[in-house]
Amino acid sequence: MSKISRRDLLQYIGAGGIGVAGGVLYGEGVQRKVELLIPQVIPPEDYSPGVATWYNTVCNQCSAGCGISVRIREGKAKKIEGNPVHPVSRGRLCARGQAGLNVLYNPDRIRTPLQSADRGSENTAEISWDDALTTIGSRIGRLKIEGNAGRIRLLTGRTRGHLDELFAQFMNLLGSEHYQQYDFTYPSALAAANKTSFGTDVLPYYDIENADFLLSFGADYLGTWLSPVHYSLAYGNLRQGRQGQRGKTVQIEPRMSLSGAAADEWIAARPGTEGLFALGIAHVLVSSGSYTGNDRDEWSSALQAYSPSMVSAETEVSEDTIVRIAEEFGASTASLAIAGGATAAGTNAVASVVAVNALNHLAGNLGKPGGVILNSAQAFPAAAGSSPAGLQGALDLVAAMQAGDVEVLLVHDTNPVFSLPHNVGFRQAMENVPLIVALSSFHDETTAMADFILPTNTYLESWGDDVPDPGVGFPVTSLSQPVVAPLYDTLPVGDIILSLARQIGGELPIHMPWASMEEFIKDRWREEYDERMSEGQDQNFEAFWQAVLEAGVWGQPGAAAGGQPESSSSPTIAAIADPVSKFAGDETDYPFVLHPYLTATFLDGRGANLPWLQELPDPMTSVVYGSWAELNPVTADELGIEEGDVLEIESPAGSIRVPAFIFPAIRPGVVAVPIGQGHTSYGRYASDRGINPIHIVATLMDKQSGDLAWAATRVKVTNTGERLRIVKTDGVTRTLGRQILGPGNDHG
Amino acid sequence: MSTFVEKLRQYSKPGYYDEFDYHWTMTIDLDRCTGCEACVVACQAENNLPIVGEERFAQSREIKWIRIERYWEGEYPNIKMGFIPMLCQHCDDAPCETACPVYATYHNQDGLNTQIYNRCIGTRTCAVYCPYEVRYFNWFTYTWDEPLEQQLNPDVSVREKGVMEKCTFCIQRIRIAKDNAKDDDRRRVRDGEVVPACVQSCPTEAMLFGNSKDPEAKVSKMMKNTRGYTVLEELNTTPSIVYLKKVHA
Repeated sequence: MSKISRRDLLQYIGAGGIGVAGGVLYGEGVQRKVELLIPQVIPPEDYSPGVATWYNTVCNQCSAGCGISVRIREGKAKKIEGNPVHPVSRGRLCARGQAGLNVLYNPDRIRTPLQSADRGSENTAEISWDDALTTIGSRIGRLKIEGNAGRIRLLTGRTRGHLDELFAQFMNLLGSEHYQQYDFTYPSALAAANKTSFGTDVLPYYDIENADFLLSFGADYLGTWLSPVHYSLAYGNLRQGRQGQRGKTVQIEPRMSLSGAAADEWIAARPGTEGLFALGIAHVLVSSGSYTGNDRDEWSSALQAYSPSMVSAETEVSEDTIVRIAEEFGASTASLAIAGGATAAGTNAVASVVAVNALNHLAGNLGKPGGVILNSAQAFPAAAGSSPAGLQGALDLVAAMQAGDVEVLLVHDTNPVFSLPHNVGFRQAMENVPLIVALSSFHDETTAMADFILPTNTYLESWGDDVPDPGVGFPVTSLSQPVVAPLYDTLPVGDIILSLARQIGGELPIHMPWASMEEFIKDRWREEYDERMSEGQDQNFEAFWQAVLEAGVWGQPGAAAGGQPESSSSPTIAAIADPVSKFAGDETDYPFVLHPYLTATFLDGRGANLPWLQELPDPMTSVVYGSWAELNPVTADELGIEEGDVLEIESPAGSIRVPAFIFPAIRPGVVAVPIGQGHTSYGRYASDRGINPIHIVATLMDKQSGDLAWAATRVKVTNTGERLRIVKTDGVTRTLGRQILGPGNDHG
Repeated sequence: MSTFVEKLRQYSKPGYYDEFDYHWTMTIDLDRCTGCEACVVACQAENNLPIVGEERFAQSREIKWIRIERYWEGEYPNIKMGFIPMLCQHCDDAPCETACPVYATYHNQDGLNTQIYNRCIGTRTCAVYCPYEVRYFNWFTYTWDEPLEQQLNPDVSVREKGVMEKCTFCIQRIRIAKDNAKDDDRRRVRDGEVVPACVQSCPTEAMLFGNSKDPEAKVSKMMKNTRGYTVLEELNTTPSIVYLKKVHA
């Protein structure tokens, strides 16, 4: 009998198991395949048929870093749940996190290394790992010897932990300074504003759970902002977790998000003036005497211009509302203000977030329960300090590619061709690069431009570690481990980098001697362990490693994260500036404001290839499988637009065609389009479905953070006269006196 | 035949079901619920719900044992959205049970409204009788694109064409907890030992599940909350799900 690897064995056993459940599928004339049952001579570790084993690891579906537990039966992953001991997820998990199984078992995964015959097409040929790595390695090695290592670029998605360090080390040893990250969802403006206000750009922990009054400027903390699972439980406890005390929430945004729906009050200020709204509240807090700090006079003079009447005229929110919210904010014991979404995506994003931070200063909530608790930059795993560079970083890369300064581009876990506006010209610039290598599990718009596609393991098949960002107020490091054997001829991305290092030779293999990512991580954890363990203490790294592996997380709940909040408010006062956003396109030609928004399911489009998420009704509209444009009923009426009318939405940067959806909770004059669909090449579930609104966003930028101002584009809307059916689950959207939401909660 | 009649008499005697150990009950706090739909995907994963595709979705042939219903209140700018998770209410006086010609759906000793797939002949009467519209019919035998079938939960059967299905309160998890209790020589499972997939996943802890026959169970205490109500109470279906209404400040 030929040699059978463990992986094959697991697959055979899996096939046997499915045979029983799948028996009913054969009713439609499918012939039962001949299956071989092979007895296990030496059963794999932790394996007994019929008994489930749970492994703890880290979710990678967004950047929150939730700990997860994966249920394994007969070598197959069956279910993902939150890891109960992990301080970020606390045993809970969102829809996207649970759909991780669709990533692992996705039928459209890349199964072998591929070489592309011509770019942009699906015309690829299989190639062996050896051939691919030799070709790429020798190309990079030659550049290094010639002293042209600066012509090598590495572009990744948001990467943390030791993988980030590995990338940085690899590029350093090559002699290239061009390792950069691009992630559409990274809150660059928030980090930059916090640097000003609190003296650190490490994201703080917002203690929503213990707040009495939560004022959110555009931050959809229940759906897409920073750490949705963690903040969801925090929200639940804010409402009903404390005896006899129910926290209040107010949401300010042009289009109602999940967090807006949950809020007690939802206010649609004029788009782009949310920061000004915050300054108006700050003005009242100071002038009414609610704020009693020593620096009251400084605040007073900095905020003088932002009187309620002036702010009311600009934001189109009544003076009464501004004063009332300010009074409530000032009177609450634990008030908290947060900013995100469109508020942090204008041309003056940093100024807007600084204005919101000013409210936190005035509430005196820094470092207090229910306030802003600073996280320190954690020393372990060594923070390489890379964070996504936003639009400016992308523009620099595009310029370098256009100028022919890039000879080799390595891309991993990011899809800039999809998640950047068309005007940036990323795809066209890529054509100037002689060699593009994609390290990816899936074909997408960016890998389509690659010459070589090196298939990576999914996160459920990989080793890794992670420091959640934002943290939870004390040091936490998560460890991820493969929960199933790799399904295909793929490699973990860390192993590919290490193989390339060996291939290139020179000092690279000397400084990067590890055979695998697992070995590298374990080595680094051992070093850290030895350093921290003082003499005399029981030095048993293996036991420690096993314990962390089992728990999936290591943390020090007692220890403060170390960061002393910047208690002085003078940097914030000094940074107060007019936060009103500018828009691309003038109001007469382009009467509408385009509000592209992240959805909790697809995020920036990365979730669109997962069938469970495609079939998950959008929380606010119940639409599945497609794109739509939301219009206020009054606006729609004026323009004679009905649901399903195909609209042409034209911005100064391009146009899209998308069916209309009448949405009652959107400001007139705003047209909202969800981000995520509109893929041209992303597997069978995502391709050729809907449109991508990012493509028509004008390339305006927030100057201070260098981030794309994706909420600052004006558009015009025309009815094309064509119609397209919107697939949705909702029928009647009113309770019609049926008391479905509870007695007395039914206002028809 | 006589045993059948005897049993029927015994079962229909008022109070018969009161003598058993369990009455599985769920509470859902709408003041915590945010409509995020984590429960919907959790259910899909746990119970082998099929992916029906866009075309069949458009024909309302989707299968979601739990869904989030959304209701608007008011008009812009004073508009509110109310979410309510809707799943089988496991009614004690279930209209669907009386309708089934073949007893494919019946009430079990634990207070569950149970569906026996291999007894179902697909008349779809139960779905017509259900006022909550939580019964889903398999119009087709659905398949999974390879290798997605590797994810299927081996503890739950895969249904085929012509069969009605609905929420089971994750009966497979109840089964496992009871087996564990038996192995430990305990008569009853402990409070919190049975957690259906939706309850487990809920990011806001809006849902709670337990045995309402146990007065000390968390769910028994939660049911007594003054915000508690049952949906479509006037139909006297006596649901096993108690909702806690949202507080409007």
